[in-house]
Amino acid sequence: MKMTQLLFLVALSLIANFANAASDAKPFAEKYVVLQISDDDPFKQTLVLNVANNLIKHYGQDKVDVEIVAFGPGLRLMFKDNASKGRISGLVDNGVRFAACGNTISAMTKALGHPPEMNPSATVVPGGIVRIVDLVAEGYTLVKP
Amino acid sequence: MNNNVYKKICLSVAGICCMTAFNSHAANWLMLQGTEPESAADRVKVWGFIQAQYQHNNSESNSSGGYIPPKLIGPNLTNQDQFNVNRARIGVRGTGFPLDGKVNYFLLTEFGNNGITAVDGGTAHVTDASITLNQIPGARIRIGLFKTPGAEEGLQAIHVFDYINFTAVTNQMLLERFPNPGYSSNIAPITLPTTTPLSGFDKPVGAFRDVGIQVFDTFKQPGWEHSYAVMIGNGNGLNFGDNDDNKDLYLYWSSEAVEGGKGGRREGLKMFAWTQQGTRVLDNTNDSVANPVEFNRDRSGLGVKWLSKPFRITAEYMVGKGMIFVGPDKPSFYINDAAGAVAAGVGDGANGEANGYYLEGGYYIPNTKWEIDLRYDVYNRLSDDKAFPGGANAGKSFEMEFKNLTLGAQYHINKKTRINMEITDASAEAVDWAGGAGPNDNLDGVDQVYAVQVTHIF
Repeated sequence: MKMTQLLFLVALSLIANFANAASDAKPFAEKYVVLQISDDDPFKQTLVLNVANNLIKHYGQDKVDVEIVAFGPGLRLMFKDNASKGRISGLVDNGVRFAACGNTISAMTKALGHPPEMNPSATVVPGGIVRIVDLVAEGYTLVKP
Repeated sequence: MNNNVYKKICLSVAGICCMTAFNSHAANWLMLQGTEPESAADRVKVWGFIQAQYQHNNSESNSSGGYIPPKLIGPNLTNQDQFNVNRARIGVRGTGFPLDGKVNYFLLTEFGNNGITAVDGGTAHVTDASITLNQIPGARIRIGLFKTPGAEEGLQAIHVFDYINFTAVTNQMLLERFPNPGYSSNIAPITLPTTTPLSGFDKPVGAFRDVGIQVFDTFKQPGWEHSYAVMIGNGNGLNFGDNDDNKDLYLYWSSEAVEGGKGGRREGLKMFAWTQQGTRVLDNTNDSVANPVEFNRDRSGLGVKWLSKPFRITAEYMVGKGMIFVGPDKPSFYINDAAGAVAAGVGDGANGEANGYYLEGGYYIPNTKWEIDLRYDVYNRLSDDKAFPGGANAGKSFEMEFKNLTLGAQYHINKKTRINMEITDASAEAVDWAGGAGPNDNLDGVDQVYAVQVTHIF
């Protein structure tokens, strides 16, 4: 196979993956953003939710696809009783997705002696950083507020 | 984007978020001071505030040139005009193990010059050291040293207090002065200038705090919030240990129709009631023998606070029975004998009663940084005092009435910095005595107090 054909197939594959992810999430989205929360600073928790809210407000709920990925100490944002659970619920209603790092949950389970209780709106992914890398590869813009 | 500009924008956004987070702890003093936002608290949040002030007391001396505490500037009581750093507090709060958001702590230390630090010559004193366990729904548990559930003036965070000086009823009836271990004789009014302290106490004031355990929580309903607290404490103020086998019981309830906003200046109509019951040990016998006696100390009150900007109104009525501080007449004749009065059952603060109230209001001038405050407070001390049965003072008791009218203004430089200015027109009189006679010789000259204070919270 010629190099040009190979590149064409790779590009076609990326576009297909991207289109697949986009269509799964928001079919009419024109912007794709992944927000990272990975430290335990409570101000960052508020900030990342503010940023998600501002994106929705600016582009419109259907025009922007936003996913918040939490790993490391940032996972506290997606604990069941987090003080911002009301805001999280509101953002979920506006189509924002929340991804919780499975690796972090495993580590926290060891530290706590039991699994942390997670917000039911959060989807557990194998690895938070892997999820971010995958989304970026699909064309998402990574923002770490 | 220029890096510096970007950093400034980020810091500004973070600052706004910081304030938002600070204000979103909860919605009342029990929750604001005792809990942290779940799974969203710092491991260590350093915070504190500084209050620097200037006060001038315009009161006149008695007929002998002597001055009593209401005519002097506290806590030192050595002059009528002074600058002071009355509060300088720094502390940490948060959750030490962030993965478990149901445990939090609060530690605060006072470095300023006030009734907490001045009496024992210390330069610093821990005012709060507590741990809160939030595992049980409806029954959070706080243990350690912290503010007791009680009157609004004492329970509220002092750095957002709308005035510089407390009302007379709060200062005298609630801000507890603890008896010295042995009998303490009276200190006569002083002449100025002096280096002799008028305070005869060897322990810090209670600062509306105690060491103990409190069960509390808040229940939310649409538009309403109901809170309760039950506390058992040593009844020994800021002193970590207990000085007797008796424990104090504190009960508190509040219901608030919430209008909006967050934090310490949330808008709404709050109604509250509280009671405190305890026992103190006092040696009030003027002899060289240690013969302490137990006396009850009961306090209760109810009030209402309405804040709906630009208006604010607060009213509270309080009663006290037992261990009534009667210092300002004769400086350290706080709960002890004076000229044989106790022997005659007169001026008996240890068993006496008192009551008082205040009514205050504020107006936030729209579209400005100014706020106007007006407060009227009355304290009726030894309201049930017996009269001298015979002799030259027959028919006269030591019942006294303190009235203050305070006009204040606040200029909010920013959300963390403000200037308070206030003028208090103070008066005091022993109600059974003619002007210039008996206690009124000391009380007649009580007059205006001018005060300016700058508060900065960090």
